[in-house]
Amino acid sequence: MSERRFSIGDRVTVRDATSLFHTRTQAFTRGKTGVVVEDRPPWVIPEDEAWGRDTEETGRVEPFYVVRYRQRDQWPGYTGADGDTLETEVSERWLEPA
Amino acid sequence: MSHDHDHDAITEGEQISEFDVLETAVRELAIEKGLFSADDHRRFLEWAQSIGPTGGSKLVAKAWVDPDFKARLLENGVEACKEVGIDWRDPTGTGTPSDYTYFYVLENTPQIHNVIVCTLCSCYPRPVLGMSPEWYRTPNYRRRLVRWPREVLAEFGLAFPDDVEIRVHDSNQKSRFMVMPMRPEGTEDWSEEQLAAIVTRDTMIGVALPDPQWTAAHAPA
Repeated sequence: MSERRFSIGDRVTVRDATSLFHTRTQAFTRGKTGVVVEDRPPWVIPEDEAWGRDTEETGRVEPFYVVRYRQRDQWPGYTGADGDTLETEVSERWLEPA
Repeated sequence: MSHDHDHDAITEGEQISEFDVLETAVRELAIEKGLFSADDHRRFLEWAQSIGPTGGSKLVAKAWVDPDFKARLLENGVEACKEVGIDWRDPTGTGTPSDYTYFYVLENTPQIHNVIVCTLCSCYPRPVLGMSPEWYRTPNYRRRLVRWPREVLAEFGLAFPDDVEIRVHDSNQKSRFMVMPMRPEGTEDWSEEQLAAIVTRDTMIGVALPDPQWTAAHAPA
């Protein structure tokens, strides 16, 4: 997969998908909407890497993105300031357009 | 008791995690199989644990005095590290003693304060900061920093007005991060070496700010 589905500035929602076995998509980001702020190179996804399928031949390679969320959107009753943000890195399969 | 101070017996640690057991098992198998020796392992650990935050301090001090270097550092962290003698790919080719080689420096500004965490485990920019402090790896810090960042920073003694954005960076995948704090006032005529001394580990995690009176080796009373 070489085409990137998302661009910097796109609003995206993290899928609230099942996570059997290993994933690096934190539960607290599931279903949350943020903005793509950085591209990261295509890597083998952690769901495959965890099983030793850690090369481009054996594992699924996908683009990654850094997504920035407003903390107000992230947590109910957030006690900080309106402008506070959180950034996490997400593989493409976990994102859908918001 | 053979000595006169009062404490609980020193033990191996109350909890041995599954990962501790797994590490020991894999290490012993690898030694039996001859992949490396016990002494190789010991020497590697000694070396890895000897890496401190000096590299990170150098990067920040150099960036403070050299705007061109700062631009290169923000553009490509791995390449810029080589200018201060840190190669993220040495010696294993895959970035050990970190587990990856995408390194991003986060610049603090009057409007944005950055702070790093790994909510999943303990990911940390080890080639530039060495081993992470024990508290960085605790569930307490990892769970609470993303949820209550201002409260956690306050526990470290840091408070920001509401118009400063607190930006939490979770090292949950392959990227590793380090904070570049702002150069404090009163250091205008300082040398790079003097500056590096006040860029302590915690200022590069983002739980402290550099203080001209304060180095890691000499804190004010």
